[in-house]
Amino acid sequence: MDRQTFITFHILAIIVVIGSIITGLRIALISQDWMSPISILLPQGQMHVWHLGFGIVLSLIIACYLFYSFTSPFRSVQSKYHKFINYLGYISLPLVSASGWLIWADLYADVSRTIHQFAMWAMCVYLVFHAWIYIIQNGRRVFSILIPKRATLRHLSFVFGLGALSLSGLLLLKSTTHQLNVLTIDDATFIEIDGKADEVAWQNARPISVMTIGGANFNQGATEVTVKALANKYESYFLISWQDETKSTNHLPLLKTAQGWKVQENGFYNFDERTFYEDKFAVMLSDGCEIAGDKTLHLGDNPINNKPKNWHGKGYHASLDGKTRDLWHWKAVRTNDMYLADDNFIGPPAPHLSGKRRYTAGYQADGKESGAYVMNWQWYTPKNVIPKRLPNNLDIYQQHRDSVLPWFGSSPYRESDDSYPLGTFLSSVLYRSNRFEGDRADVRARGEWKDGQWMLELVRKHNTQSKYDVALQTGTCMWVSAFDHAQIAHTRHIKAIKLRYAL
Amino acid sequence: MINRLIWSVIIFSALIALCLLPQDKPELTPHQRFTKITNTGQALLPWQGPWACVLDSQNGLLWEVKTDNESVHDGYWTYSWFDGQKGKSNFGDCYFEPQRCDTADLIRHTNQQNLCGQSNWRLPSATELISLVQAPSSPSQPYIATDYFVHIKRGDYWSSEHDIPLPTKYRAKGLGATAINFHFGKSYTLPYRNAAFVMLVADIPTANTHPQLSRRATIKQHKQE
Repeated sequence: MDRQTFITFHILAIIVVIGSIITGLRIALISQDWMSPISILLPQGQMHVWHLGFGIVLSLIIACYLFYSFTSPFRSVQSKYHKFINYLGYISLPLVSASGWLIWADLYADVSRTIHQFAMWAMCVYLVFHAWIYIIQNGRRVFSILIPKRATLRHLSFVFGLGALSLSGLLLLKSTTHQLNVLTIDDATFIEIDGKADEVAWQNARPISVMTIGGANFNQGATEVTVKALANKYESYFLISWQDETKSTNHLPLLKTAQGWKVQENGFYNFDERTFYEDKFAVMLSDGCEIAGDKTLHLGDNPINNKPKNWHGKGYHASLDGKTRDLWHWKAVRTNDMYLADDNFIGPPAPHLSGKRRYTAGYQADGKESGAYVMNWQWYTPKNVIPKRLPNNLDIYQQHRDSVLPWFGSSPYRESDDSYPLGTFLSSVLYRSNRFEGDRADVRARGEWKDGQWMLELVRKHNTQSKYDVALQTGTCMWVSAFDHAQIAHTRHIKAIKLRYAL
Repeated sequence: MINRLIWSVIIFSALIALCLLPQDKPELTPHQRFTKITNTGQALLPWQGPWACVLDSQNGLLWEVKTDNESVHDGYWTYSWFDGQKGKSNFGDCYFEPQRCDTADLIRHTNQQNLCGQSNWRLPSATELISLVQAPSSPSQPYIATDYFVHIKRGDYWSSEHDIPLPTKYRAKGLGATAINFHFGKSYTLPYRNAAFVMLVADIPTANTHPQLSRRATIKQHKQE
């Protein structure tokens, strides 16, 4: 390899490595709060496709460099220090690339993610001790070494070739998917939505397992999710199981203190509760299959133009292309006893309402005719709250402290009735009725926790005709996320699960 | 080389300082028209609560805010249209009257309560009520600013306009009153006996005697934020 070819490689590598680091750090910030101070230095928006693109170019550069190193290596005069520090680059760059591809392929994603992060930090250290020391030693002369002096046709064609190859690779890879075969059952086969999955049909369905990563409270932030699917002429059934060592139903309980009732929380004020929250599970459906949620994930504290900042700095879900993505949100306390998943959707960013502190961009609930759960406080403040209602019979209620408080088993709060001793707990969830009615109630669901595992059964019509739902058919793509007593810090996976029906 | 070392330390320090600067939180945006008012007549910021009334700077009005606490102001209660003489008394449903409810009952109770420091509560005119109509921000929400007007149902709300001939299908009932429907954001003439929802209003004089409810004071407070 001649000097000019090396310089061409080198300048491309600098751009790509910096691009990979800043997009990767933005992605890592979703689950690593300690890095939040550097958020101000990082780009915002849809990062995964950019990160994959940089990853492809970096891998191609590594491959080219290895090829040249074996065929016609570039010889340069370097100090012992730089020769030594280069070994850090020789180790970290291939490692970050290989572990990145393993995460993309959902292979050992939990371990690969840890390796990817260690390799990334090693790469940062390499950059500092390699580049910074050169700058200290040589000053402006570094630029004369870095910038190609004679761009020949060979070098230009090399750069454009690499660019074209990377772009083709990105277009090819960004929509690759797993596949879930949906087993056909006849219309007479009865599947009870009870979270037990004891029907024979489930045993015949072929499962797919995806390692989901980056969630709060799970062991290493990861849990493996297994999905099976059945379909008759009218409906699709899903059986989803995931590991979760604890069943969490202690959802923002109200505690009686000397200062009044207080919501037990650790992050709820910023809409990122991770301690006193119920377990949840989310399924997203889309006609498109692009990696990392089909363009609905916008990272950063203010990733959407002309929309408000978010409180937690993580990002928003929204469809900037105007298409609707379906979102089923099962909640262990709020919807499980309704035998429903909350039928939500991700659409274009909603208008900002000045009177509401929380803005959720495109993440919204489908419409409902009636029925709902409401929170059992008149107005939330982190200091204290006044409950909306008190149970008619606290003794019975205390035995089921983690459950919801029924509207008709309770009475409006009156100070004169509030004679509960300090240390009394109250449920934060009130059922106005025992289920939603309307579009929001399209997904029936029931989860059961046993021996460190949640098992969730879901069923929905193939096509509800709602403009806020996505039809279930061959080619529909699905993403799954588990929440371990966390409000928003869910696990995730890169590649979609594409449904394939035999019907 | 020493200069370069010093410069690089300065650049690194500046980056670290930039990272350690307190990061901006989401900003409060005052509503151009509405202000939350507590039961004692105190103006609140948009993210504060609870509130019992909404000050409407466009119309110079104070609107009653509905609740879900089974009080007089519960959003589920319905009323027949009745002004003490005309209309149909006691054809709506509520818990706070021994008999059934009509619009005069709600006005009487609200004035007795001196809600938000006012005792001049009345039914809104159709024009006042329809001025609240705006497209919903999410599915199945009523046609109103739901961040200020909570517990509003997608149904009919009585206005003070009455003695209006009913449409053909209700013609046998004689005259009726105008109601605004927040499901469709349109007005209808309904028989007095219909059970509809109610949101009361009170007029705010420009020079309000209630110090905290002065429109000028509220605007000033917003400007200071």
